[in-house]
Parts: sequence; structure tokens; C-alpha cells
Amino acid sequence: MTWKTQAIAIFRICYFNGWLGLRRSPIAFIALFLTPLSFVFFLYVIAPRSVLPFGVVGGIMFSALFTGNAMMNDCAYLRLERQVQQIFITSPLRPMSWILGMALSELVFTVPGLVLFFAILPLVVPIGVLTMLALVGVVLLTWLMSTSLGFLLSTFFRQLREIWPIGMVVFTSLSVIPPVFYPIAEIPESFRWVAFLAPSTFASQLAVRAAGLSVPIVASAPFLSSVGFQVVGLVVLTGLFTIVSMRFARWREP
Amino acid sequence: MEGLIARAVSKTYRSQRGPVRALDNVDMTIAKGRLFGFLGRNGAGKTTFIKIATALLRPTSGSIQLFGIDVVDRPREIREQIALIPQEAKPFYQLTPREHVEEYLRVRGLSAETAKSRADEVLAAMGLETYQSVPAMVLSGGLQQRTLVAMILATEAPFLFLDEPTLGMDPFARRQVWEVVRRAARKGSTVLLTTHYLDEAEQLSEELAVIEGGHVLYQGVAEALKSKVRREVRLQFSGGFTAQELARYGDVYPDRAGLTLLTTRSAVEELTQRALERRVPVNVGPVTLEEAFLTLVGRAIEDEDAETPA
Ligand SMILES: Nc1ncnc2c1ncn2[C@@H]1O[C@H](COP(=O)(O)OP(=O)(O)OP(=O)(O)O)[C@@H](O)[C@H]1O
Ligand SMILES: [Mg+2]
Repeated sequence: MTWKTQAIAIFRICYFNGWLGLRRSPIAFIALFLTPLSFVFFLYVIAPRSVLPFGVVGGIMFSALFTGNAMMNDCAYLRLERQVQQIFITSPLRPMSWILGMALSELVFTVPGLVLFFAILPLVVPIGVLTMLALVGVVLLTWLMSTSLGFLLSTFFRQLREIWPIGMVVFTSLSVIPPVFYPIAEIPESFRWVAFLAPSTFASQLAVRAAGLSVPIVASAPFLSSVGFQVVGLVVLTGLFTIVSMRFARWREP
Repeated sequence: MEGLIARAVSKTYRSQRGPVRALDNVDMTIAKGRLFGFLGRNGAGKTTFIKIATALLRPTSGSIQLFGIDVVDRPREIREQIALIPQEAKPFYQLTPREHVEEYLRVRGLSAETAKSRADEVLAAMGLETYQSVPAMVLSGGLQQRTLVAMILATEAPFLFLDEPTLGMDPFARRQVWEVVRRAARKGSTVLLTTHYLDEAEQLSEELAVIEGGHVLYQGVAEALKSKVRREVRLQFSGGFTAQELARYGDVYPDRAGLTLLTTRSAVEELTQRALERRVPVNVGPVTLEEAFLTLVGRAIEDEDAETPA
């Protein structure tokens, strides 16, 4: 197959797995944005107004990060329970195209929630079109990083039962413990670098900066606050997860 | 050129309860364009072999070539040539049979027009027309399985791997599958098919292999298998004979009316003669593939048991 037919295939997968799935069971996307929306709501009720912008940006990042959880669940389900992954990879479709098609369809599920948060954002923080576009870029980078992690994790499962708890632990830790919903300034300065052990910190700090909310992270290590470091961090992580998936993932089982 | 050549293929799974030798030096050859039946008991190694041949699983040792292409070294080229119905696969639950066929063909790089016309054809052939717009989640198990068969057969891939394609289907649907599989073979596809319905294997396969405990016990045509196990004729006696008396001619089973004997062609004359003398009716017919299979595999199990010290 040529590049063009691979590209068409990717969009077909996104169409039938994402778009048709969304249209035929709309409850799924509500489930996806309900959690971040409730976080924002709590912040609105209990926290000082100055924290609210972080909450809304947090909601956006949470949505982008949870595409990875959906990816992990879907890919494991389609491989273990339905065995349709096997049907698709025993075909001229490249494994990488399957992964991209699946990742795109997870994005489709997240779009309604993202639109909602992007609509709220200008209400809590003054923000221009360019800033919005920068945030969209961050969301896309985050989605790529997170879905590649989700796919990698999906390859380790032998049974569907293990997935639900592991997904909750991994992706909730990624989006709640690191500074996604709160400013990194809340962490004592000497420990802020620790937050960068979580891939989500790269994404959230980029997002916060795009929304104009950033602060210098560590005075003695200015590179941590730089766009370059954060973007490269996300790209490197995405590449790493993808390479590990392609190399060791169980296209060929044990 | 051969469709498939397997040479000394072995596979050992590592499991918690120690290594499992699923395939042991399997040699097999399938001519291009052949409709090939792959038979064996549960756990014999059929699915493992198919997974290796479709580049889903790496053999522990040995090699498989499809159309002269090595599966382990050149999986990408292999994938251009194949389509697979995995054992106990299930369709996407939100998609209709038509969407399954059309979307899968498009993902495989075919045009929208080709996808549509092949879908029309295969949905009709599989009796899915009335269900073509119903999401799979509300289709019965057999209709879901038909959807998968339609999806894979519509690819017209040069090599089709069908792992228990008729699982859970009614007798009408099975015959529809036979027909589309035969048509695929007529159009030039090589087909490797597993089934536990031996009547189906006998109807469908031009050649077959029997595997047991990871070893190939037999490869050839069904009739030759019957000769090989020296069980070609079935004689049914309603009275007049004892089991001991018949046992020296072959395998004796009690049946509803009396005794059934599976034996060779050469014993027929003597036994029918004797039945005439004793004035008891005897029914003569060919041994089925199922009976030959039971004999072949049954002997292999006995040998195995004999070799294993108690
Ligand atoms: N992933 C695995 N890990 C460990 N052992 C396995 C695995 N898959 C299969 N086996 C073992 O390998 C052997 C062959 O299994 P296989 O699935 O190939 O049999 P089969 O002939 O397809 O059987 P069936 O007719 O039941 O489908 C069995 O003993 C099985 O238990
Ligand atoms: Mg099997």
C-alpha cells in the first residue's frame, strides 16, 4: 500500500471506530469530560478565583491525557476480547497506521469535552486567538504522547480484567498528582524538578504558559521553564513510547 | 510455486506452569490455490500454527514461507497476501455487517466502488442482506460470525486463513460459508481452514492435514487417510455376531441397532457372506472422515500413553 492509501486507512479507522462509535453510544464522551468538569466545578466552589484558570486549563489537559486511558482500554479490548486487532494487522495496513487510526478515534471522543473547556476558558482568563491556537498545539502533542503510552501499556495485558484498575491508577496519577490542576508554584521550589518525572508535567507547563499563567519554575534551572525543553520532552517521550511499542509490543505474542 | 511451505516449525510457549510445546517439528506443504483442511483435537496446535503463518507469533524454530516469502523475515510482504479469521473473533459492536465489509476493504486499500460491489455480493452470498444495516451488538452469535466470514472472504486475499469459520452457525449458514469458500478457491485463493466438523472438512477440503500434540500425523486427501488407517468400509450388523468375533477385522462399536464394524475393503466379502448364511441383515457403507480421524488420532493417543510410564 502507498502512503496515500495508508492515510486513507487511518481516517477510515478514525471514522468507524471514533465517529460512528461516538454517534452510536454518545454516553462515552460524556463520561470522558464529566470527571475534569467536576474538578473545575469544585475549584469554582471552594478555591480562590485566581486558581480557576489553572482549573480550566487543567480540564483541557486532563481531557488530552485521558485519550491515553481510552487508547489503552480500546486497544486491549479490540485485541483480547474482539480479536479485531489481529484482523487488521494481518492485512496490508501498517501496524503504525492502526495505532494512528486508533489514536485519532480517541481524539474524536474527546473533542466535545475539549470544545466545552475551550469555551469556558475566555470566561476565566483574558485570552487571544493565538493563545488558543498554541493551546490546541499543546493538546495535540499531549494526545500523541498519551496515546502512545496508552498503546504501549495495552500490549502488556493478557486479560481484560486487569485493565480498569491499572488505567485508573496510571492516568489518574498522571493527571491529578503532578501540577495539572494546580500551579507548579504550589510545590516547594527544591522539589519542582521531581514533577518532571511525570510526562504530564511537560504538557501541563506548556499549556499553562500558552494560557499566559506561567511562572519561572526553578530559578537555578531556567531550562525547566523553557518551551524548547518542554516541547522536546513531549516529542521524545512520544517517540520513546512508540519505538518501544513497535519493538517489543506483542505483534508477536510471547 | 507452493502456497505454503512449513519446515520443522516448533513453538514452545512459556507459561507459568512451565514450557508448553505446542508445535513439534511441523512440516507441511500446501499447493497454491488449494483448499486445505487442518484438523486436530482441542489443543493440538492448529491456532498456534496459523498465528505463526500470519506473522502474529514467532516460531521457536523452523520456518514458514508463503508464496516463497519467509514469514519471520518479511512480515510486511506477507501481510499484503493474507487475510485471517481468528478463532472466536467478534465484530465491532457498534458497526453493521455492511460497514464491517466496506470499511475493512477500504482499510486494506481498495476503492470505495470495489468495496461497495464486493459487499453487495458477499452479504447476499452469506444471507446477511436483511441484517446489513443492523449493528453487530444486536445480531445473534451466528450472524456475527457470518459477518466476520463476509468481511474476510470479501478481501479475495491470495491466502485466506480461516480458524473455525463456521463456529456456532446453523446448517444452512455453514453451507453458505462452504459456497463462498469454494468460490474464493475457484478465483485462485489458497485457503487454510480449521474445523471440528469433519463432515465440513470432507465436503470442503481438497487436501487435509491432521495434527495431534503438535505433530502432523497425516497429510493428503481424505480417501487416502481412510486407506492409511485401513478403515474404508463400515458394516452395521443387527444381531447375529458378537463383538469378539468382529474385533479381529477392525474396530467394533455398539450402536442403536446392534454393532458397527470399521474395516478394510478386503474383509467385506467374507463378512457379508457370513451374514447371509446367518440370515441377518448387514448394512455396508463408506467410512466417514470423522471415523477415519477418530481411528488415526485414537491410535496416536494410545501410542503416546503406551510410551508414558505410569
Ligand atoms: N499463549 C499461550 N500460552 C501458553 N500455552 C498456550 C498459549 N496458547 C496456546 N497454548 C497451548 O498450546 C497448545 C496448542 O494450542 P492451540 O490453540 O494451537 O490449539 P488448537 O489446535 O487451535 O485447539 P482448538 O481446537 O481448541 O482451537 C495447547 O496445549 C495450548 O494450551
Ligand atoms: Mg484453535
